[in-house]
Amino acid sequence: MRTRGRSRVAVGVAMMLALLTATASHGAGFSIFEHGSKAMGMAGAFTAQADDPSAMFHNVGGLAFFDKQEFLVGLTYITQTKADFTGVDPFPGSGTTEELETLAEIPPHLYWVRPLNEKYKVGLAINAPFGLVTEWENKDTFTGRFISTKAALTVVDINPNVGIKISDRFGLGFGAILRLAEVELNRRAPLINPFTGQPNDVATVVLESDMDNGVGWQVGFLAKPTDRFSWGFSYRSTIEVDFGGDAVLTQILTGNPQLDAVVAASLPFNAGLPIATSLEFPDAASLGFAYSFTSNLLVEVDLNWTGWSSFDQVVIDFTNDDLPDETLPQNWDDANHYRLGVRYAGRRGEWRFGYVYDETPQPDEGVGPLLPDSSRNGVTVGYGWQGRLNWDLALMYLPFNTRSTSTNRDNYNGTYETVAWLLGVTVGW
Amino acid sequence: MRKVKNRTLLAALSLALLLPAVAAAQADTGSADFSRFVAMGDSLGAGFMSGSLHEGGQRNSWPSLIYQQVNGSAAGFEQPLVSSPGIPGILELRSLVPLVIAPAAGFGNPNNLTLPRPYDNLSVPGFTMGDASQTVTGNPVIDVVLRGLGTQLQQTAFLQPSFVALWLGSNDVLGAALSGVAIEGVTLTPVNDFAVALATVGQTLEAVGVQQGAIATIPNVTSVPFVTTLPPVVVDPAGNPVVIDGQFIPLIAETSTGVRPLGPGDFVLLTATAELAQGRGVPPPLGNAGPLSTFVVLDRDEVAAIQARVDELNALIRQAAQDSGAALVDVNAIFDEVVAEGLNIGGIEYSADFLTGGLFSLDGFHASPMGYAIIANAFIDAINATYGGSIPPVNLSRFVFGVEGQLPIGGGTLEFGELRFSRQAWRSLRKSLRLPTRKELKRALRASQRSETRRLRLSERPADRQARLEAARSGGGKLRRR
Repeated sequence: MRTRGRSRVAVGVAMMLALLTATASHGAGFSIFEHGSKAMGMAGAFTAQADDPSAMFHNVGGLAFFDKQEFLVGLTYITQTKADFTGVDPFPGSGTTEELETLAEIPPHLYWVRPLNEKYKVGLAINAPFGLVTEWENKDTFTGRFISTKAALTVVDINPNVGIKISDRFGLGFGAILRLAEVELNRRAPLINPFTGQPNDVATVVLESDMDNGVGWQVGFLAKPTDRFSWGFSYRSTIEVDFGGDAVLTQILTGNPQLDAVVAASLPFNAGLPIATSLEFPDAASLGFAYSFTSNLLVEVDLNWTGWSSFDQVVIDFTNDDLPDETLPQNWDDANHYRLGVRYAGRRGEWRFGYVYDETPQPDEGVGPLLPDSSRNGVTVGYGWQGRLNWDLALMYLPFNTRSTSTNRDNYNGTYETVAWLLGVTVGW
Repeated sequence: MRKVKNRTLLAALSLALLLPAVAAAQADTGSADFSRFVAMGDSLGAGFMSGSLHEGGQRNSWPSLIYQQVNGSAAGFEQPLVSSPGIPGILELRSLVPLVIAPAAGFGNPNNLTLPRPYDNLSVPGFTMGDASQTVTGNPVIDVVLRGLGTQLQQTAFLQPSFVALWLGSNDVLGAALSGVAIEGVTLTPVNDFAVALATVGQTLEAVGVQQGAIATIPNVTSVPFVTTLPPVVVDPAGNPVVIDGQFIPLIAETSTGVRPLGPGDFVLLTATAELAQGRGVPPPLGNAGPLSTFVVLDRDEVAAIQARVDELNALIRQAAQDSGAALVDVNAIFDEVVAEGLNIGGIEYSADFLTGGLFSLDGFHASPMGYAIIANAFIDAINATYGGSIPPVNLSRFVFGVEGQLPIGGGTLEFGELRFSRQAWRSLRKSLRLPTRKELKRALRASQRSETRRLRLSERPADRQARLEAARSGGGKLRRR
């Protein structure tokens, strides 16, 4: 039985690494909060419950209370039914409409918990707490193509944890985090064509980092002062990842042979130009309170804080000075999520409902084609039942607030409208 | 079936109701009255581009763009449109390597000469502030705009405008920058003369009841590509600076303080290409063709004199805006910022660079279509701010991506064999901008030396300049005070 479990874990890890070619942001900023369908059914208000192995994501303090080995494996399918941009004057102008490529991303999650004894528990979590894909359609004509045509961030956390049951009413947990991450940034490079006075696309610029890593830690506790009331707190540290990688420029011909020759002679095309960059992932804290009104009705409220002010700028250093370094200022602010979850135990299974308000950390001047973020309100419904396996399903409707900017740093102004849907499926045994 | 029919009828009716409203759609101009909008300007207002008055540039001149943003179309805004290849023949980029910019052969025709009233855009290439009230004729370009019907100011007054956009003054300093010689009264308009001319314009407009307007400052004409493009150092035939012992080799030139090697703050004008091709400016022992002539070099003392004059004239313009309540369009500040930092439009870096900066046309000092669109938006911003309107800014995508943004060309009548920024190109430019000829400049230089007046007021103490400025202001009168 134990051997079988281990091989399942191994298969799960392999499957997940294969799936994690790209993940999509749908928590504000580029975080992803849906890493367990039970919690997701309650809009992630789970800090004070933390009673399935996804505790290692929501509040590692919950790990202390496990009394048997458990596995939990699942996927969250993320898609968008709307992801549009409408321009305003002066640029890119009223009447300009652009569309993002439809997302279809499936960040997976996988947890294993094993009690060593009554007091000490260990566990392993693998998930993707951050991720991003912003890829625009019609790249040849997209009016923001000189800013970004695609930005993608892929993250995998490998997170071993220890839980300590201090008493029947107080559990403590902590863990180490190894974060693997990869970044891709694509755009077009323009040149004013002296013959026409207008910009031409003269190159595609593809920046791809290696899969690099950073380490961090997390800690949390879960307190159950009465049989009806519980509360918890968890904190995850900042993690800095230093990336190496390369940039590849591919020439786009303008059709003017003289101009094309000048361009070909002045840019280092078709070579991997070494780059270095760095990303400081924000720290995050969660505080939650849960109360059981009856034996089958529980309500939880959570506050999550994310230290997005760590995301101040992205500096792309061309380490051989093949091209001038680039600085992409971000200057984000710390931001909160507010979550409300309800669970109701029916005769056959458990219904869950939730609501989340997720504040954007992005200032107006940063709202642009690279990463157009917005505050959002999400509502969720979930259902879980126990059979030979434990199944949890959750559905989230996540309309983003319409976000307009008139102060974009690249003078690229307009309105972004996004509606996302998420479907979570998790199975445990 | 009947239901469908009714619906169609209803739709048609509501369309009919909507249509007149759509046709009459006018931007919210706040308290600004655009019922008769007239522009007084110079080549920059005329949409002069690549050395030519050409309908390709005129149709999107900044006055026309403002009118279009207010009224939804250019219909009704009358300009002295000139067919391709323009007057004079428009400059074209024939080759990038080697660089060949030459005018199209032939002349275009004025297509709107019979309009039985003055044009709404009365901008005349080459006009100074003084010309507005003094000049009726003088060259073919002036005649195309003014048609012998009176001065720019008289014709403006005749139209009894509700709103006047006024941008003059660049030619009061530009001659010095482009001809490489700063001479008071010849290439630089004396402050007093400018103040008097400005006051004349203001008083005349006030007398005919003009109550509203916008007035723009003079950009720093020493920052245009015509001045800043060529490096003041010896370059090899491939265009790369020659380096000996780790040092660039400065060119030598006649300057306002005698023949000397050029250094920081000195500029070599685009017109120097012919002399450079002859080897002039290369110091001995590398070269022996002599120094560059003073007419193709703008030395730092001349730059300082021009910039000081720009500041003095702009002080008068700002004062006039304040006194009259007109919107002030600070083109000077906007252009300084573009020169210092560039202008990022959707990830495209526009700049004040020649050829690849996107804001200047091929003559190196008149704007490109994009440049004029940005100027139009500066006017619109200022007008909205002053009069509380919300005239929409010009959609720059039209100029970044659309055909409207392309530099106009002469239309197939190409003339080959001109090298670089040709003498011919320069001659036609000089004529249309009414810059003094070399002969005239030399005469003026001799005269100024004879009379022992200082060629430049370089050593003038700040206090003296202040006093002179005050005198000019108090003597110069003011635009109508609201």
